[in-house]
Amino acid sequence: MRWVDFKESLSSFWSDFRRQKSGLLGLLLLFLFIFTAATAPMITSPDIPEKWQGFWLDNPKNVPPIWINAFSSQTMASHLIIEGENLQKLITKTDSGYLIEAEYNNEYDVPPQDIVIKDLSGKTTGGKPSITVIVKRPDGKEVTLIKNYKFSGSLVLQLGTHPQVRDNLLKWIKSEGIYIDPLQEFQYRTLMDAAKVIFGQLNENILDNPDSLKGTYKFTILVNVPEGSSVSFDNAKVIFTGRAYGWLGTDFKGRDLLAGIIWGSRVSLVIGISVAIVSVLIGIFYGVTSAYLGGWSDELMMRFQEFMASIPSLPILILMGAYFGGHIKLWQIVVLLAIFGWVGIARVARSMALQIKEQTYIEAARVLGASTGRIIFKHMVPQLLPYAFAQMALSVPSAVLAEASLSYLGLGDPTAVTWGQILHDAQAAGAAVNGYWWWVIPPGLAIALVGLTFVLIGTALDRVLNPRLRRL
Amino acid sequence: MGFGKYLVVRLLNALVVLTIVTLVMSSLFVKVAEKDLENTIVQQVNAEFQSLQQQGKTPEDPDAWRAERIAYYRRQYHLDKPYWWRVQYYFKNTLTFNFGKTKNPVFGSEKDVLAILKMAIPRTIQLFTTAQIIIITLGILLGVKAAQMVGSLFDRALSVLALVMSSIPMWWFGMIMLLIFSFKFGWFPSRAIPDPNLTGWAHILDILKRMTLPVATIVIVSFGAWAWVIRNIMIGTMQEDFIMAARAKGVPERKVIYGHALRAAAPPVVTMVIMSLLASLGGAIITESVFTWPGMGRVYWIAIETNETNLIMGLTFVNVLLYLAGVIIADLAYGFLDPRVKVGASENM
Repeated sequence: MRWVDFKESLSSFWSDFRRQKSGLLGLLLLFLFIFTAATAPMITSPDIPEKWQGFWLDNPKNVPPIWINAFSSQTMASHLIIEGENLQKLITKTDSGYLIEAEYNNEYDVPPQDIVIKDLSGKTTGGKPSITVIVKRPDGKEVTLIKNYKFSGSLVLQLGTHPQVRDNLLKWIKSEGIYIDPLQEFQYRTLMDAAKVIFGQLNENILDNPDSLKGTYKFTILVNVPEGSSVSFDNAKVIFTGRAYGWLGTDFKGRDLLAGIIWGSRVSLVIGISVAIVSVLIGIFYGVTSAYLGGWSDELMMRFQEFMASIPSLPILILMGAYFGGHIKLWQIVVLLAIFGWVGIARVARSMALQIKEQTYIEAARVLGASTGRIIFKHMVPQLLPYAFAQMALSVPSAVLAEASLSYLGLGDPTAVTWGQILHDAQAAGAAVNGYWWWVIPPGLAIALVGLTFVLIGTALDRVLNPRLRRL
Repeated sequence: MGFGKYLVVRLLNALVVLTIVTLVMSSLFVKVAEKDLENTIVQQVNAEFQSLQQQGKTPEDPDAWRAERIAYYRRQYHLDKPYWWRVQYYFKNTLTFNFGKTKNPVFGSEKDVLAILKMAIPRTIQLFTTAQIIIITLGILLGVKAAQMVGSLFDRALSVLALVMSSIPMWWFGMIMLLIFSFKFGWFPSRAIPDPNLTGWAHILDILKRMTLPVATIVIVSFGAWAWVIRNIMIGTMQEDFIMAARAKGVPERKVIYGHALRAAAPPVVTMVIMSLLASLGGAIITESVFTWPGMGRVYWIAIETNETNLIMGLTFVNVLLYLAGVIIADLAYGFLDPRVKVGASENM
């Protein structure tokens, strides 16, 4: 085919395709997906796949996205991390060590879950360094949360659940003249949500059901460094653990679900498209060869096709998963899905090729002495290409669904971030029955959207390239 | 070729497929089971050693004793035999439904794989037959309606619905249903296992209530695609000459559609009914695990999560068996309804 002809047929195809509104919508969605997948390391961060399996300690667990505040009557504290330069600005050196003064503006109805002071690393040769945390509340009260807490090595101090903090808070509440039931005091000491009390209004409900006290809180963190020891603040962080996080919230390991959804698009697209291309190509060549050879080879090839068609794919795929040690790598999934994907296409390709075979130009080619391979590749397969393109687009959704199903069953590649895997974790953690909608809805919607994209493109291609179908 | 010969050929075909698939499965399975058994043997020998120690009868040479016990268990589990011997051994066992036992009990205290499957299959069928009957009824009614008014708003809405629903994972939709109707509104229980304290009518009501969400999930996701295929078949049939003849004769339109067109469209529809029953079994296997419905799907989930190789093998074999049985029934029904179909007739099609 000459280049000019190719350009002409391409432009005539495009002018036809342009009239298919649903096809254009599909194309737009496809570009969006490809853009997301390609720019995933830039939009999020490039180390997401390595971090994905571990716990994300700095993040809150199972919290909804921030924008939920716009719809609910109670606003929830968002996540705040003070680190790096922002933290260094707050540090001043004193005679006996360091002083950090951090301000936190609590404007929420539900205050942060926890306050975490993290990764101060102390080197000791003499006495151990110690830390004191004092909070000045908007109502003017000053509470010492923890006093002279000694540490060495790397420090992780969770004020919300620390027993000394609970003790100090109970003492403070008593000194303010609020009665505490002695029978319940022990329970408060072990189970109290200290963060709620720190950020709570001072009244008789402060222990059981505190109301949030809004305003600016001043946290004074004193680090006392004795002679001969040193404390490094290079990696230090002060975290106000939120009750809401990011655009899509977090799961039970504190993972940012938005990052998971963005990275998952890569696997989904790559698997879907490669399975579709491979299985359609195999199907077309198989069908055309079978039709062209005819006779016994045709009979044999069609028996084999029938054999493949009568194997249920999902149970076999699950067994394969068990065979590969419970985890199928991505390329293995592509191979397995392609093995079961070509079957239906081969049948249709054969019946189409049987008609082409009778055309005079095939006979002419044979008379000229063209080899079997040349006739199949050069003269017959190109005739089926329009059908092949439409079928490729239409096979993508089922491949995407199959991959997601396997991942959902826990048979996927553990080193990859996939949508099915996010849903597997969600199911294992009972996300649906616990109401973690932000964990369940987005991955499935993404799967459905990829499916819809290719169905739209495929049906539009089908209508343009196979004009017989246009009237329906 | 007569119907009898057709039947025999289809049966033989299915048997060949079953044999080859089982053989492939067995050869894969032997590999998986080997690792599994070796772990079990080490555990068993360790347990024996500890109990001997507690009784004060510690063997004099622990290493030799261990090696001897491990060799004994390897003989017991046929691990000393060559690979192909074990493959044919498992092959025979599988064909005779001799799947062995699971490591941990499933469904209460049951450890025998066959007994577990016997418990699970009726529950799966209970869910699916109900869902499929609703889907088929809805599909045929809506599909015929859409075929009557091609291009109308209803027809286009149905096509869009079929398009959208075909790209939604059924199990995900089930999770959404749980989220809305079980968590948010609390109308339906989230777990499918019935309350054991209820009897009589209360028990039946309880089961019906627990079935509602899974059945609704399957129906909503599948009926659109179904109706769409019926529509396409019906449009094809409605263009045939005999429909025009019937109309010209003055047969009422209702009778033309339900008496003439639908009857002529029966063979592909019947095949589709059976094939979709089988195909839905796969997707619904996963849907079941979402609702903790104690059928085949739930067993699959448990088997994969706890690495029960014997159970996975048994499940796979039964699934293949059910699938092949369905294929044969579909073929026979088609051959019975449409006498044009014969073995090998596809050559001229």
